[in-house]
Amino acid sequence: MSLLDIDERILDVAALADIVKCPLVDGKEFPQVDIALVEGSVTSDEHWHEIQDIRAKSKVLIAFGDCAVTANVTGMRNYFSKDEVFNRSYRDAQSNDGQGQPPDHFTLLKLHDKVVPLHEVVPIDFYIPGCPPEADTIFYVLAEFLNGRIPNLEQERKLKYG
Amino acid sequence: MPKISVKIDDKDLEVEVGTTVLDVCRANDIDIPTMCHLKGLVDVGACRLCLVEVEGTSKLLPSCTTKVQANQVIHTQTDKLKKYRRMITELFFAERNHVCSVCIANGNCELQDLGYKVGMENVRFPYLFQNCEVDSSHSKFVMDHNRCIMCTRCVRVCSDVEGAHNWGIMNRGYQVRIIADFNVPWGDSTTCTYCGKCVDVCPTGALWNKDATQGSMQKYPQAVSDLVEKREMKS
Repeated sequence: MSLLDIDERILDVAALADIVKCPLVDGKEFPQVDIALVEGSVTSDEHWHEIQDIRAKSKVLIAFGDCAVTANVTGMRNYFSKDEVFNRSYRDAQSNDGQGQPPDHFTLLKLHDKVVPLHEVVPIDFYIPGCPPEADTIFYVLAEFLNGRIPNLEQERKLKYG
Repeated sequence: MPKISVKIDDKDLEVEVGTTVLDVCRANDIDIPTMCHLKGLVDVGACRLCLVEVEGTSKLLPSCTTKVQANQVIHTQTDKLKKYRRMITELFFAERNHVCSVCIANGNCELQDLGYKVGMENVRFPYLFQNCEVDSSHSKFVMDHNRCIMCTRCVRVCSDVEGAHNWGIMNRGYQVRIIADFNVPWGDSTTCTYCGKCVDVCPTGALWNKDATQGSMQKYPQAVSDLVEKREMKS
């Protein structure tokens, strides 16, 4: 949703591209697209299938933000085992009554043991790091791609982590 | 001092005998990235970022610990060196947990700046996600091993400038750790003088003041360089 940080420049993007799928345009199958911006890391079976599907249907796949590029804060559970994390959250945290159990229902997504950034699962065409990425950087990358050019964050001094 | 001539990146230079390749480059606007080097501290060649190619030897040599020889021809910006510099940078990020967004040094970090300089948009090596300790036992400072890149500036400033010998190094490989005294919590150290020089020279968010919050920690490595220079002038 950092995309909305580009403010009124979203109109410039809309003039060059149709925004066909985003968390606000929900409930449809992922369509064939030219450019996909994907936020977040791969933490579960659901994410894993989703990113495969998006990869297959996108010409240019952009890892968008530190979580997608490095796993970032979402990867901080990797220092512990999945059981430790579940028990800490649902049973042992001070705010719990000690009676809780980690949820286990077949409709829930299955967390993977380790959180990984997107490029460890599918090939990524472009990376926009940052937590969140700068609005100017987002707009620069989109404008370059939409005008048929390849952006270069290093040259433009637009790399930023955190 | 007798002078010798060397050629660095097609520049013919006259330099004093005994100067390191890095010092020659810095004096002549040749940009070589470094992490473990700090003016005023003894160079140890730990980070390997300053490797250069010297004609006549097949090895890459660390410019911080290599003294120039007469008539040497040195290359500092070849594609091979740039490739290695980026790989080294990525390995720094992959080895421990540099979560910039929640780091006290975010925005004031030499490791971040290095990433920008070598054009690192992502890390191609798998992250180790080691479970590293945070030692907050000291009353004034914190040691967060997650952010440490083992440059050993803290070890050298503590022994050579402050003379306290609080910091040391334990283990090898990815298990290598900075330790206080004989591996005691920093707060239990009998040698630490609370001077804070290690915090000032630390290039990342590994050492910080206890009152720092996310992104607020400013480091002053130059303060130590200046201090050493003033002492040398006095003696």
